[in-house]
Amino acid sequence: MDNQVKLDAHGEMLLQQFRRLRPKLEPLAQEAYDLLRHALREQGIYVTAIEQRVKTEKSLTGKLELKGAKYKSIDDITDLVGLRVITFYTDEVDKVAAIAKRLFDIDWQESVDKRKLHDLNAFGYNSLHYICRLRTGGPRFELQMRTALQHVWSTIEHDTGYKGDVKIPDVYMRQFNRLAGMMELIDDEFSRLRTVLTDYRRQTLMLVKNGKLDDVPLSRDSFRNYLDLQPFDRLNRRIAAVNQAEIWPVSVMSYLPVLESLGMETLGDVQRLIDDNSDDAHQLALSQLAITDLDLLSSNTALQYLCIVHVLKHGGGREGLKTLFDHINGESDANAMLADMMMEQAKSLPFMLQGGHNI
Amino acid sequence: MKTTIQEQDGNMVAILEGKLDTGAAAEAEKAMNPLYDVEGKDIILDCTALDYISSAGLRIFLGILQHTQEKGQHVYIRGINDTVRAVFTITGFSNIFEFI
Repeated sequence: MDNQVKLDAHGEMLLQQFRRLRPKLEPLAQEAYDLLRHALREQGIYVTAIEQRVKTEKSLTGKLELKGAKYKSIDDITDLVGLRVITFYTDEVDKVAAIAKRLFDIDWQESVDKRKLHDLNAFGYNSLHYICRLRTGGPRFELQMRTALQHVWSTIEHDTGYKGDVKIPDVYMRQFNRLAGMMELIDDEFSRLRTVLTDYRRQTLMLVKNGKLDDVPLSRDSFRNYLDLQPFDRLNRRIAAVNQAEIWPVSVMSYLPVLESLGMETLGDVQRLIDDNSDDAHQLALSQLAITDLDLLSSNTALQYLCIVHVLKHGGGREGLKTLFDHINGESDANAMLADMMMEQAKSLPFMLQGGHNI
Repeated sequence: MKTTIQEQDGNMVAILEGKLDTGAAAEAEKAMNPLYDVEGKDIILDCTALDYISSAGLRIFLGILQHTQEKGQHVYIRGINDTVRAVFTITGFSNIFEFI
């Protein structure tokens, strides 16, 4: 305890009440924290942090020194236990609040939505505070819900001490106000952007499901959705059948830049890569695997052979294959050897002979 | 087939010599078992003297890779010849490993 702080008799009485109450506060904080964390996880809400703390005696003493007379008993102080949930987005603050309403009894007289307190001249950018009580009873506690940016603001606000005794000149207050507005705008824009992206993903998924692949630009999201349709499985199984091979699952996402390097712009282009080249890719893989006893293939195998055939059919030749392997494996002189090997294997296959690509 | 495990420059190195085919796989896997216990070090599979690798050998390599990646470490394949590289390529595993 800070020895410099002198409490009056009323303050001392409240402090004694706190000391008697304190053994109950740690379990209360933990129980409220566990309930909240479990409920958030159950609802699939990912937050940047959930924190809990019991007010220290030093902090309480400071508060009592300043405004102890305001409280009749220790039960009137509602932040002896505090929980804080920091979300990514503004709309998630309301989701957390809805969950809190379901979990706890809320003291609406004491709870404050500071986000709605701003008037034209008010400065600030604050969070939603609920005063709660466990449904099983016990002391009240404070639950703060804010976004990560609101948290940053609150921390800086505290650090600058603008709420201290010294009156801040208008010119500096104006700077605070401008920054607060900017932070609020950024928070809203992040939320808006997330909504837009979620809609975009949903639309893309619908287009993929409806087979309108030419309308879907090739991107990480769209390619991932497309892979849910397992577009390379049939060819992988055909190739695996050559040696009764096991297919070892690996991420096909690494081929996205390879497809982009081949000029694919939509999922329709990728589908055409499959439709136009599967038989030839199978022939090429067959010509290589049939003379081996290799019975283990990666789930990238079909796509790799499709890309090889595509390059050869488009007249890429040895240099095109070297470039393709540079994209697949990373740049290396060894890729020239692989290009030669593939050229050698492919040169007698029908698609090369018909197209005159081995010239 | 000969397999030697040693520490080099803070990495654990498995030096593989000969043909890692189906017949040699069980013994090679046993010899490489200590690599599963490596903590905080990257693993180098030195294939400079490896003449051939079969599917059984690929399975050993993939097992080590999977286990090591889960611990946040790397597996590098060093010095493979063209024959072994071709096996990695025609089976579609060439971009799974890091070759040095």
